[in-house]
Order: sequence, then C-alpha cells, then structure tokens
Amino acid sequence: MANNYLVLEDGTVLEGEAFGYDKANSGEVVFTTAMGGYQESITDPSYCGQILISTYPLIGNYGIMDSANQSDDVWVRGLVVREYSKTPSLMYGGRTIDDFLKEHKVPGISGIDTRELVLKIRSGGTLKGAIVTDESKIDSVISDLKRMPAPSEGNLVAEVSCKQAYSIDNKKELTVGVIDCGVKNGIIDSLSRRFNLRVFPYDVTAQEIMDAKVDGVMITNGPGDPAHPDIAKTVVRTAKDLASQTAIMGICYGSQVLALAMGGETYKMKYGHRGTNQPVRYNGRVYITSQNHGFAVDAESLDGTDVEVSQINVNDGSVEGIRHKNLPIFTCQYHPEARGGPLDTGFLFDDFGKMMEARR
Amino acid sequence: MKKEFKKLMVIGSGPIVIGQAAEFDFSGSQACKSLREEGYKTVLVNSNPATIQTDLDMADSVYIEPMTADIVAKIIEKEGVDGIMAGMGGQTALNICSELAENGTLDRLGVTLLGTQPEAIAKSEDRELFKETMEAIGEPVPLSRTCTSIEEALEAVKYIGRYPVLVRPAYTLGGTGGGIAYNEEELRDICGRGLAYSRIHQVLIEESVLGWKEYEYEVMRDHNDNCIIICNMENLDAMGIHTGESIVCAPCLTLSDMDHQRLRSASIKVIRALGIEGGCNVQFAFNPENGDYRLIEVNPRVSRSSALASKATGYPIARVSAKIAVGYNLDEIPNKVTGTTYAAFEPAIDYVVLKVPRWPFDKFRTVDRHLGTQMKSTGEMMSIGRTFEEAILKGIRSLEIGTVHLNRIDDSDEELEDELLHATDRRIFAIAEALRRGWGVEKVSKLAQWDAFFTTKIDNIVKMEQRLASEKMTPALMKEAKEMGFADSVIASLTGSDELTVRKERKGMGILPTYKMVDTCAGEFDAKTPYFYSTYGHSTELVRDKSKKSVVIIGGGPIRIGQGIEFDYSCVHSVMALQNEGIDAVIINNNPETVSTDFDISDRLYFEPLTLEDVLNVIEAEQADGVICQYGGQTSVNLALDIEKALEGSDTKILGTSPDDMDVAEDRRRFSKLMDELGIEQPKSGTGYSFEEAKEIAEGIGYPVLVRPSYVLGGRAMEIVYSTDELKTYVETAVKVSRNHPILIDKYLTKAIELDVDLLCDGTDVFVGGIMEHVEYAGVHSGDATMVLPPFTLSDKIIEEVLNVSRKVALGLNIRGLMNLQLAVKDDKIFMIEANPRSSRTVPFISKATGIPLAKISTQIMLGKSLKDVGLGSGYKTLDHYAIKASVFPFLKLVGVDSILTPEMKSTGEVMGIDEDFDVACYKALIAAGNKLPTEGGVYITVNDEDKPNIVPAAKSLHEMGFTIYATKGTATYLREFGIPATTVFKINENQGMDALGLMRQGKINLIINTPSLKSGAVRDGATMRRIAVELEIPSMTTVNGANIAVGAIKVARSQKISVRGMKEFHR
Repeated sequence: MANNYLVLEDGTVLEGEAFGYDKANSGEVVFTTAMGGYQESITDPSYCGQILISTYPLIGNYGIMDSANQSDDVWVRGLVVREYSKTPSLMYGGRTIDDFLKEHKVPGISGIDTRELVLKIRSGGTLKGAIVTDESKIDSVISDLKRMPAPSEGNLVAEVSCKQAYSIDNKKELTVGVIDCGVKNGIIDSLSRRFNLRVFPYDVTAQEIMDAKVDGVMITNGPGDPAHPDIAKTVVRTAKDLASQTAIMGICYGSQVLALAMGGETYKMKYGHRGTNQPVRYNGRVYITSQNHGFAVDAESLDGTDVEVSQINVNDGSVEGIRHKNLPIFTCQYHPEARGGPLDTGFLFDDFGKMMEARR
Repeated sequence: MKKEFKKLMVIGSGPIVIGQAAEFDFSGSQACKSLREEGYKTVLVNSNPATIQTDLDMADSVYIEPMTADIVAKIIEKEGVDGIMAGMGGQTALNICSELAENGTLDRLGVTLLGTQPEAIAKSEDRELFKETMEAIGEPVPLSRTCTSIEEALEAVKYIGRYPVLVRPAYTLGGTGGGIAYNEEELRDICGRGLAYSRIHQVLIEESVLGWKEYEYEVMRDHNDNCIIICNMENLDAMGIHTGESIVCAPCLTLSDMDHQRLRSASIKVIRALGIEGGCNVQFAFNPENGDYRLIEVNPRVSRSSALASKATGYPIARVSAKIAVGYNLDEIPNKVTGTTYAAFEPAIDYVVLKVPRWPFDKFRTVDRHLGTQMKSTGEMMSIGRTFEEAILKGIRSLEIGTVHLNRIDDSDEELEDELLHATDRRIFAIAEALRRGWGVEKVSKLAQWDAFFTTKIDNIVKMEQRLASEKMTPALMKEAKEMGFADSVIASLTGSDELTVRKERKGMGILPTYKMVDTCAGEFDAKTPYFYSTYGHSTELVRDKSKKSVVIIGGGPIRIGQGIEFDYSCVHSVMALQNEGIDAVIINNNPETVSTDFDISDRLYFEPLTLEDVLNVIEAEQADGVICQYGGQTSVNLALDIEKALEGSDTKILGTSPDDMDVAEDRRRFSKLMDELGIEQPKSGTGYSFEEAKEIAEGIGYPVLVRPSYVLGGRAMEIVYSTDELKTYVETAVKVSRNHPILIDKYLTKAIELDVDLLCDGTDVFVGGIMEHVEYAGVHSGDATMVLPPFTLSDKIIEEVLNVSRKVALGLNIRGLMNLQLAVKDDKIFMIEANPRSSRTVPFISKATGIPLAKISTQIMLGKSLKDVGLGSGYKTLDHYAIKASVFPFLKLVGVDSILTPEMKSTGEVMGIDEDFDVACYKALIAAGNKLPTEGGVYITVNDEDKPNIVPAAKSLHEMGFTIYATKGTATYLREFGIPATTVFKINENQGMDALGLMRQGKINLIINTPSLKSGAVRDGATMRRIAVELEIPSMTTVNGANIAVGAIKVARSQKISVRGMKEFHR
C-alpha cells in the first residue's frame, strides 16, 4: 500500500495510507461531524476547494449508491479518514468509496488520527493543507501553502454553477427560479416535489429570471466567500434587484447572499459548522439541522436594515436564518433538504410555497 | 419552564433480575441528583439496598421498602408527595404507577405523574393499542393479533398465514415467557407459558421478521415538542434474538444516510404519537432485501438501551429526562460535557461502541444456551475503539469469561455450522473459528445472518492472527495488531513469547496506548468531562494535573451471578471518600449500566477492559499514586498480585491490605496454616488429585462432603456429595480431576448455622459492621441465603466468640480496610469457612441497615487514617431494628435450573426488609423479593424426620389461621399427634392418587414447606415439585427457620399492620 502525507500550512505532517485517486491536491482543511452521509458530503458542491476530514473514523461502510449523489462530481479536493471500508455492507450493492474517488480523480488518505486534527482545527481555526504523494516534496508544499491564498478567496461559485439555464417541468402550479450557486440535488429534489423549476447560472440577471415568469426565487448553497467581488456584481446584485419583485428563499450560501443584498455583512467563521446535528431555534422550537458552512451572517450588521434574524444556533448563537420585515423573503443557513442529515425542516419548502401563493 | 412541586418521588426498579439490572440505579440516581439541583424535595423508594440511589444523601427521604403499589401509596401519603417520576425504575416502576393510576390512588392523593404518562405507557405496552396508534400515523408494524387463549392464538396464525410466529406476552420484563413457534405444538407450549406470565393474561401472536436487521433509536422529546435522537444502534444479530442478547454497535454502521433518516423521522413520529416527554427507545426491523421496515417495540422510559446510549455518547439521558419531566425544554438544559452548549442537539461520536452481553451459562450448566426472544443474560459490557476490530477485542476481554481473545473452539464442522445457524453465547467465537477454517465471509455471513461488513471485521482479526503467527515482528506489524485491539498476551501466544516481554518490546517500539475523550460532539467543542477510552492513535488527550494525587479504583466489570451491583456500590463510595480527601478518584470499568461509569461520579473515568494490560496502561498513563483492588469483587482481587509485581520499583502503591496478605486468604494452604496458628477451627479438608485420592479423603473426613474444582473461583461447580457413588458421578460429569486440576474436599457441616461478618480493620482496631445470620443452613451460597441482621437465634456468648474470631483473623491477615468472613456455628462451635479480604456483597446491605458507610471508611483507612480517627475504634454495631436480606432468582426465565439452593450461587439480586418488628421485617423482605405470600388457602408440608418436632409450631399457627394443611404420610401422621388436622397426599414419585403436584396445579396449595432429608438423592427427587412451584409462583420454604419466618410474615400480611419508615428515621 502506497503512503500519502497530509501536510498543513503550520508545518504539521501526518503519514497515512493512500486511497482514491493517485494525485496531490491542496485546499482548505475542514471537518464534518456527520457520522454517515459521506457520499452526500463529497458530492456537495459547497465543499469545492476543501479537503474534508471525517470525524467518524469508519467511512464507506455502506458503500456508494447513485441515489446519494448531490451532483455529478466529487467536489472535495481530498478526503481524510481514519479508515475507509474496503469491504462495505452489501445491502446497497457494495461499491467502495475508494473506487468512487478514483473514478472522480480525487485523492484520499486514511490511517490518520482524525480526532487529533479536529482538535487542532478547533483550537486554531481552519488551515490550508495538502495531500502529498511524494515525501520529498513535503517541504516545498509547506512553503507553497503558506503563500497560497485560501481557496475561498477565489470565485468558487463560477466553478460549480451550471453553465446554461435549464427547466424541470414537474406539472405543478408554481414555478421557482433557482439561482444555482452550486445547488445540491437534494434542493432540486425538494423543490421538484412541489414546484416547476427554472434553473439559472449564478450570473443570471433579475430581468432574465423575471422574464421566465417565476413565482419565486431560490438562491442556493454554494462554496466560498459570499463577499467575493464577483459575487457582489452577480448574485448579490440580482438578489437586490429581485427583492421587491418576487418571493425569495435562500439556503446556506443563499442566506448569506441575501443578507449582503439587504445591506448586512458576512464573516469567516473560525472553523465553521459542518455536520448533521446542529440545533437551531426557530419560532420557539428547536430543530436539528444539517449544515455545511464556513461563512456566516453578522447579526449586528443587520441593525438598521430591513431584515432581521429569525433563526439562531442554540450552541453558539450564530445567525441561522433571516427574514425581511416587509417582503416575502426568508432564509436558512442550514439545509432543509437534508441529504445527508435530518429531515426535520423540510417544511420550509412548504412555507416558501405558501409565500409564493400569497404573493400571486 | 420549571413547574412547582412540594415533593417529588423517584421510584426505583427493585432487585436486579434478568432484564432489569444496574441501569436503573444509574438512571434513578441521575434523576435524583437532577431534581435536587433544581431545588426540589425528593423521596426515593427502592427495595434494593445495593444501590447508590438508596444512599441517605441521594434524596431528602429514602425508603427501602417493598415495591408494591400499596406500600408506595403509603409512602406518598406519609411524605405528602405531589409528583412521581415513573420512568426511572424500569418496568417495575411503570407497573406500580399504572396500578396507582388505575386504582385511583393518584387522583385521590392529588399526585401528578411526571414524564411518561399512563396513556403513553398503555399505548406502548398494550400490543393492540400500540398497533392502532402506529397504524394511525402510518408507521408499519408486523401483522399480529392479541390473544387471551391458545385457541385465539391458533386463529391468529391462520390470519398471519404462516409459521414461524412470535409469541410476545404483554407486561413482562425482558420478554419473559415469549418465544418463537415454528409449528402448532410449539405454539401451544409457548403460548401457555406466555399467558401465565402476562400481568393481564394476554399474548401477541405476530408475523415473523426473523432474519431482518434490527436497529434501535434513542429519542428524547420535551414539552415544547422538540425531538432529538441521542444515538442509534445496530444489532449485529438479526431479528429473532432479543436486543438484550445481541451484540450491539453504536452508531449504526451499515445503514445509508437516507435509510437512517427514514428511521430517525419515524422514531420522532412515534414519540410524538405516544406523547412521551423524556427518553424513549424505538426498535425497528429492517428488511435488507428491499428496505422495508417494521416498528417492533417502544420502551416509553429510560431503559438499558438508554443507559448504554448515555455511556456511548456522553449524553445523560436520565438526567435530562428528569429535567424535562419537571417542565424544562431541551434548549434550556445545559450540556454538562461541554459546559457551553445545550441538551438540544444530537451527539456526534467519533469511535465505535460495542455492547456484548454477559450470560450466566458458566454458572448454569444445565440451561439451554440458545439465544432467542427471551433474555438470559445478566449483564453486559461496553467497549470503545477507533476501529471495529479494536472494540470487539476489547469487548471480549471485558467479558471475563476466561478468554481475552476470539479463541479457537474445537467443535466439529457440523457443530460449528449448527452454532452459526442457532446462536448461543458462543456464536462470535464460532464465526471466528469458521473463518479460520476457511469457510469464507460469504458463507459465514449467510449462516449467521450477519452483515458481511461485520463478518469481514472478524475475518480481519483472523488474518492478523495468521500474520502474527507467521511473519517476523516489526513495529509496523505491532502497530497494526494493536490498532486492531490485540492484547499483548494474545500477541505473545501467537508469537511464542510471553505477555510482559511483548509489553516491553512494544513499549520499546514506542507503541503506546493513547487516551481519547468521549465528549458528545466529536471534538467540535471544548469538553470538560474527563471520560476516556484507550486506542492506538497518534496523540493522547489526557492531561494529568500533577498537583493533585490520583488513586485508581479497579471496578467490577459486567454484572454476573456472583458479582453484582454490590461491588459497584462500593467502588462509588470509595470514589466519594477519595474526593473528600482532595484526591482525584479514577475509575476503570466497562459496565455501561452502572453508577460508577457515570462520568459525573469520578474525577476521571476510563472505559476499559479489566485485564492486567489494560489496567496497567491506565495506571501508567495516570502516573497514579495509588491503586485500590478491594472494591471490584473477585475481578480486582485477582489482579492485585500481578499489578503489584508489575509496579515494582514505581511510585504507585497498592492501597489497603497488601496483595500478599490477600493471597494468604485466597490460598488454601496458607490460609489453613494461619487458622491453625490462630487456633481457629476449620471444617476438615483435603485435596484430591485423582478419584481414588478424593475417595480416600472423603471417607476419612466422612460424608457428606463439599467438593469443588481447585481452579475455578466463587462456588462454581461446587456440590455437596453424600456418598462415594455421588462423588464418582461428580468427578465423571462435572469436573475432570487430574494432577493439574485437583478437587478440593471439605467436610460439610450438616445443619450448621452460617454467618457472614463484614468488618473494618486498620491494623490495630477491628470494627465489626455486622453479623448476619443465614436462615438456610450452611451449604447454601451466602449470595443466595436469606440473612438476618442482627442474628436472631444466637446466644450472646456465641456472638462474643464470633467477634473474637473476627478480630483475630482480621489482625492475623493484616487487613487494612474491609474483610468479609463466612463462619459456621455447629453445636456451639465456630468454624471458619472462608475469608474474603475485600469489600463483599453484603457491604451495602450492612451499610444501609446500620447507617455506617463501610466502604467509605475502608477507603479512609487505606489512605492511612485509623478507626479511632473516624470515631469508631474497636467495636460492634448493635441495632434496635431488624434488617432481612432476601434474594431473587432467575428460575422463571432460565428453564432447566433447579431452584434448590446449593453452594453454587444462583440469585441475580437482593432486597432488604427493614423494621423494628422482626416479623414485619421478614414480611417486607419476602414480599419485596416477589414472594406471593398467601393469607389463606393450603399449605403443603413435607419435612424430614429430624425436623418433624420443630415444624409443629409453624404448622399449628398455619392451622389456627385457617390454612388447610396437606402433608405426606409421615408428616401428616406426626402433625395429627399434636392435634393438627392434616390431609395426607401422596409424594410426587409415588405416582398414585391425589398428589401434591395435582393440588398445586388446581391452585389448592399456596405455600410449600419442604425440608429435604440429608441423604443421597433426596434433594433431586423434589426437582419436579420445585419447578412447578416456580412456574406457579408458590413460595417454598426449605428449612424450619424459613418456615417460621414465613408464618410470622403471613401473620403480618393478615393483620396488614405495616408501616413505612424512611432510612433517616432508622439512623437518627
């Protein structure tokens, strides 16, 4: 078995066993505490630019299945595990995560004391890192990492958004325009169960959307910094333009975009929320949610704007959702579509439907 | 927000029985603490003295009283209780609360039931209601019908359409009386039994989902309808084996996220439909072929699974449930582990947890070892690892069944296949063996109905064995083997080395265990709670504050017959005493049910196997100042010498009695020598290395003799034999006698009184905490015997002499701390039977009865204090009340075990009856132990000739109370001479006319007094009668003393002059 190295910008070098595709890759090193749903995570476009650590030590246990994919590709730049299953349960066919990563040309490293890494990130914050295949290159990689800008400083949304608009006709009453910042299949599925869809690339204009005769607009999840200048010129701008014209729901990145569009600010979190167990307080109730974000809305920045915080994280009090005081606009920082994670907040899509109905 | 109550009652679960063990001491104790934190006045009721929750300071008032609705009602009234927590005491507490609700007591006294409500109990326990409720919310349950007769059951099978079907009795513990019927004959049999055990005479006949996978979800819900899942768990064994009998892992490993979310959502729908506020356990059967699922069962309360889930995740389910019950919502309750987050989240774990049950088949050799829907295990252990293999091997080590690995078994291929198809406790060993024989993962998985994912993990272990046996040892190989959980001793035996050499080599390679924290959040937040497990990782999280001393207490491991909750009690008390002295108390243990493994108890908790390697690793990682081996029962005593040897030259000391002195007490020769020096008499004895030698010794001593193999501990395979023929049978069937495995032979003192003494010694003074007189004659294991504190038939002179002997032995053995003595009194002479240089099973009982915390004081002594320092000095605690210990037995659940009491322990738990009045104390003890004491009806008396004169008073009393006396010919004739009318019945083996068995079945006999004659075979003859008595729940007394006690108790039952008294009132 070949060895790989996980190298961090602070000089940490961990040796492990290579799996997946045989190549070196760098990214922002983040962790998820989800105990399952590994396939959903690595195919989630929001993970673009990141090397993902799974805190659960056994990964790939139940194999790989087409229905779990959140996009057509694997978006993580590398996967770090304690152990991956070479012989998964046969209940879902038994295809290995090793094969899946190979097919999508993404490297993995196993045999890592992932908990040790997580504690490091927890105390010091997210780090840049790389999976290195050649031991002799470790030193140069470390100095490269130090100089390298964080992947989230680039326009990652451009990488993951669809290149052309497309429609999904589900024979429903209402039609939703989706601004694809890296949309997960889970969101498409949740919307499709209720609405017809017109999906647009992220740089669509408000006019183009309104011309498509939509009843509301969904701004989706996506990778990177919502405050990126390219995003200010595109999605944020579009959101601002749409605000008075239609009902809008934002999920995750979409929530941050809407906050920016309404005059608020976002910030980079120390190590983000990634997992399927985050408690959110909303309308006096607590919901367990699926999350994957490294940026968040600054609650104080909303003072004096037309939006307010409507949902907060029970653990750290961070913003989990905002709503417009007068217009049919609301967001959630988490993933009501789940995939993976709990299905507790799927009702938000129904709420969105009601909002659109009311506006008609 | 919190509601107002004057006083809240927590109901415990009573004695330890199969299906209800220490987990309810853990949950009840957590609940008590949780409620007191909120400033509520609390009352605790439990009949089990061996619990932490019955400690004086656990509640404002503590009652050790029988767990019946009547008694509980009296306490409610006396204390002015206005709220009851029903969900903390298992099925026992739920049943009591249901009864109090049904008979109107709660309404009459204005008492609110908190947490689980009667409707929720009914909806989840009553099969028909459960089905209706689930159908109403669209959740699938297996096809089924409720039946109250065998005829209805046969109809139900027609409706379902095929055998096999499951028979599930309503309202029983751990599936008592249930089973799988493959044909009509079996259905009639199982159904008949099930109907008899059901509190409401009802069974469910159900579609079989045998072979489906079994998953469990632990759900919490608050008043605001917030729902969270604490943990899900996967049974390695397919449906058909009770989850309590199955190896279980957490979290589920083979379930996709989508299917997990389906089951998660269903669990939440279920808890909402049942309206449960607090914790609840939901069980699913899942069809691996097509993803269909069925809801199997819901426990509307904390359970053994929730104790496991609490320990597995660090989320204190019982504590939070208690807060929810008084009105808090999940997002208002802080998460104690992190200190910064709240109880409203779902724990994320970053390790593999395994639970392996501990079965009593080593004790009960005649019991059918097959596993099914009926629980047979007495306890369980939990292991934590970062790989599945590590968790499994740590689990096997924790079982303490004489093996530290998935050892070879020498079954034939046919036997092996049968073992895989029809699981017993040996299945996991059989799986490993089949893989060793090259059967392949696919075949083995198919036979055992295991997911190949798990079978592969066992295969990895087998492959590692082969590598270790064939490859040259390298650091890489060593690391891999340790990461898979291989013990040093196993590596040693595979590589032809010895344990300590491997240990040295391994350390030389720099391969050391690392300790990781259990923190509820997979490292996402900074955690405060020092709860650790070992693994072979890259870095350790243990940071030792060297400014404080640390003392390691070795725990007692899984609950089994002979080593129960009593030892955990002592461990916890030792923790308290250490903390009181400003020392960090460190616990090593692996029993997820217990209080000692609550991370709230010790300063650091290590969830580890209790083998030399694992224990030494912790001691070294801790850089411990001291180690305590006196509290974990035989488990810790057995490790003492080896630990001391391994620690030679280090700064860590074994506290208390030195291991060498402990060895004197354990080693027969050394002990006999000491007794001779001290002038203390012992029953004559010898050691036989062949049958001939044994025979010679036995004849020299004179029959009857007590025989046992030298190489097993704790009364296993111990028997009384009355003749050379019996000795021959014993040697041929029970044990193999050889040069290496001699048998020990002791004179059996017939009709001797046995005493248990627990004492404290500091090397100068000896304080005797109590002398307990057995009701049964010597020869009944002290764990099974009914005991009376203080002695009720001994003269002051004998007591004085017992005290003298106790003092001599304690000083002679240089005891520092606790010691237990077992003595026999025969013809006013005292004989030493056995000395246990440790905390004994009776320590909690005495501590409760006397109010003196023996285990705490013992710890103080170990730390160097004297008895005088703690205000005791030499002495003996006298009492102005009686405390009776009665035992409970698993005979109903374990078909094939004779209920006769012998030197081999059979009971699972104990109760205490305490009162100023001797008869009332006896009544309370008998009732608390589950005896159905009659107040009218018939008594069957058959006693041996020697006992005939002595039984007259009891018979007379029974007659005067209006009981019909039935007796065998000899006894009847004798009784008539004293003017007691007695109807003659035939002995069972006389096979004619009206016999006792027939009368019993007709319900005409409600009490049996049977003292078997002390000769060959007589004991065995009564076996049928005893079995029937067990099944019909007719109390049986086997000694004259026992009969007298029963008669006194019946008088009390008839008068109903029973008052309840809090423990503080006894110890003012």
